[in-house]
Amino acid sequence: MPFKNSIVVKFVLVISLFNAVIFALTLGYNYYQSRVILQQELESNSRNLAMSLVHRVETELAAVAKVTEGIARSLETSPHNERELLTLIRSSIEQNPEISGAGVAFEPYAFNAASHLYAPYFYRENGKISFRRLEKAYLDFPYPYWDWYQIPRELGKLEWSEPYFDEGAGNILKSTCSVPFYKDTASGKQLKGIVISDISLDSLTQLISSIKILKTGYAALLSRNGMILAHPMKDAIMNETFFSIAEGRNDPSLRELGKKMIRGETGFIHYQSLVGFDSWMYYTPIPSTGWTLAVVFPEEELLENVRKLSMTMMMMGFVGILLLTLVVIYIARTIIKPLRLLTGATDEIAAGHFDVELPATRSNDEVGELAHNFQVMRESLKEYIRNLTETTASKERIQSELKVATNIQASLLPRIFPPFPDHPEFDIYASMVPAKEVGGDFYDFFFIDKNHLCFLIADVSDKGVPAALYMMVAKTLLKTEGQRLGEPDKILSSVNNILALDNENCMFTTVFCAILDITTGDVRYANAGHNPPLILDSHGVRYLTPKPGLMLGALSGTVFVTERLTLEPDATLFLYTDGVTEAKNPEDALYGQERMLKALQGAPRDDLAKMIHFISSEVAQHANGAPQSDDITMLAIKMAKKGIA
Amino acid sequence: MNLQTRIENNVTVLTVSGRLDTVTAPEYEKNIREMISGGNIKFVVDFEQLEYISSAGLRGLLVMAKLLNEKSGRMCLANVKGNVRSVFDMCGFTSVFTMKDSVSEALAVFV
Repeated sequence: MPFKNSIVVKFVLVISLFNAVIFALTLGYNYYQSRVILQQELESNSRNLAMSLVHRVETELAAVAKVTEGIARSLETSPHNERELLTLIRSSIEQNPEISGAGVAFEPYAFNAASHLYAPYFYRENGKISFRRLEKAYLDFPYPYWDWYQIPRELGKLEWSEPYFDEGAGNILKSTCSVPFYKDTASGKQLKGIVISDISLDSLTQLISSIKILKTGYAALLSRNGMILAHPMKDAIMNETFFSIAEGRNDPSLRELGKKMIRGETGFIHYQSLVGFDSWMYYTPIPSTGWTLAVVFPEEELLENVRKLSMTMMMMGFVGILLLTLVVIYIARTIIKPLRLLTGATDEIAAGHFDVELPATRSNDEVGELAHNFQVMRESLKEYIRNLTETTASKERIQSELKVATNIQASLLPRIFPPFPDHPEFDIYASMVPAKEVGGDFYDFFFIDKNHLCFLIADVSDKGVPAALYMMVAKTLLKTEGQRLGEPDKILSSVNNILALDNENCMFTTVFCAILDITTGDVRYANAGHNPPLILDSHGVRYLTPKPGLMLGALSGTVFVTERLTLEPDATLFLYTDGVTEAKNPEDALYGQERMLKALQGAPRDDLAKMIHFISSEVAQHANGAPQSDDITMLAIKMAKKGIA
Repeated sequence: MNLQTRIENNVTVLTVSGRLDTVTAPEYEKNIREMISGGNIKFVVDFEQLEYISSAGLRGLLVMAKLLNEKSGRMCLANVKGNVRSVFDMCGFTSVFTMKDSVSEALAVFV
């Protein structure tokens, strides 16, 4: 399975993920920056749009105000009789189509002393100009009490009224421009009346309502009191103020916004529009009337293009990353292919098939180098394995030969116990455990005549094959010379002289040689540098102190001395080599003669095999796992108890 | 085993310390052979610091004696005591080698 946890997967993951992250960051930044730029653009655009609308509204209002001012100034400069006054009013309507009605309302008795109130008023109705007397139209609530009269009268300047519905004149939305006019008297300026001109706001609100910003954006107009004059929510027009809506929706931020508007402030804000969209709004006052014009841009639509662009970019990015991934997979697999083949080859080689075909390497890159090195390694391995096989084979041959040698050596030593079942006069037991496959220790026992048993123990210097060969020679010589000479000192002297001859390597062997008269227990013995044996009898356990003699093979002409002792019935003579006393434990402490003496005191005496095994286990216990450094050999001979022989 | 050599009055004084056994005896023998073939034929071997001697060590001494014999050289052992002394006693080496109780006494043998 090439994709399982492979380098290809890692390549693809790392490169594609990194690309995706980088792309996502770029896209995100792009989107954010687009929004910021769009917002800046929007602010300037919305300001321009609002200003142009304000300008158009202002132009219309200014024209009406100018006509109204004109009538007022005309009335101030020259006296007008009724006919002239009416002509003036009427002509001003006829000449200014934006004026829907105009009139002059006089202060009580200001027109003439005969009439209390006088207020002629012309207005457009069904395409014609009609006339009305306002003092007669408002009998219940005479005109001096109306806002359009009162406010300019008190303030003494041009004033626009709050927009209102004129039910009498076709239910149209109007606003009235009122200008006071005066008469100069001796006591100063005296108010004569108020000139009024009505303007139909329908055209203005239509103009504003006709502004379409994108699909759902709009322009709105609010009066000085926050009354909604133009807005897509038709029901709210002249029915709701900004504040009543804020109240109804329990929205303090909307109320704050309303306050700012009626204070005549200008602003650009992000808010939720009255029709419920997240929007940007620019608002600014119409200076002459104190109304507020607002243009509202729905954010959703503004960002739509940015969103579309982002979506397109995302799709392009996705496709791009997909293509990149495919390319990465292709490249990675191209690189990996020889590696995969190499991996297969290593499996084969690991299984021992050194002749497996290695992939051919054409490239000079790292993979090519690896394949080449691999080739070299395979050859080295083959060579090594071949050498190892040969070495192992020869080592095994030596091992098996040594094994045979061990068997031969062991078979040279008497191993069948009891060796002389028809001789109840004595018992004998011995054991030899070599430290290496073959050892230098040996023991032997044989009858030299009917009643005399020769027994000996020996230790050849050094161990291993040289010692074993030397041991063979020594053992053979000792037996032949033993049977020929029958006296320990003579035996040792003779064998020594033979061994010392041509002894280039200075090999030597220590020997303790003794001859037992099995009828009496008399022992004649001679020592060639061997460890002193022990006697176990009724007086206890003690070391024998034989006269020292030089070991065999060291020096020709060495003289040995025969000594004597008598083994009483049930007494044992215990012979050993230094492999016993010099057995070491892991702390390098020797087993020693003291320990062996104590061990023999506690050892079973009746059965010689048990005695020797007991000492063996004591030595092993002392060694405590430390490797055996020398051959361990023991021989024990025991006279029978009284009466048995 | 550690082997130190110094020359006093034309006599090579060898100080052997540690163990002289199967493991170290070949090295001892090699050093001795080199020294003897290099012309040193008078030796004092100081066993003051020798802790242990095995049969392989004894063989090393025999080889040394034999080589010196061929070249009419001589050797004398000094400070053979303790364990080493009992091994010497046991295997009859005491009668084969000249032994003195100190290096200066051993050196006096060659005067």
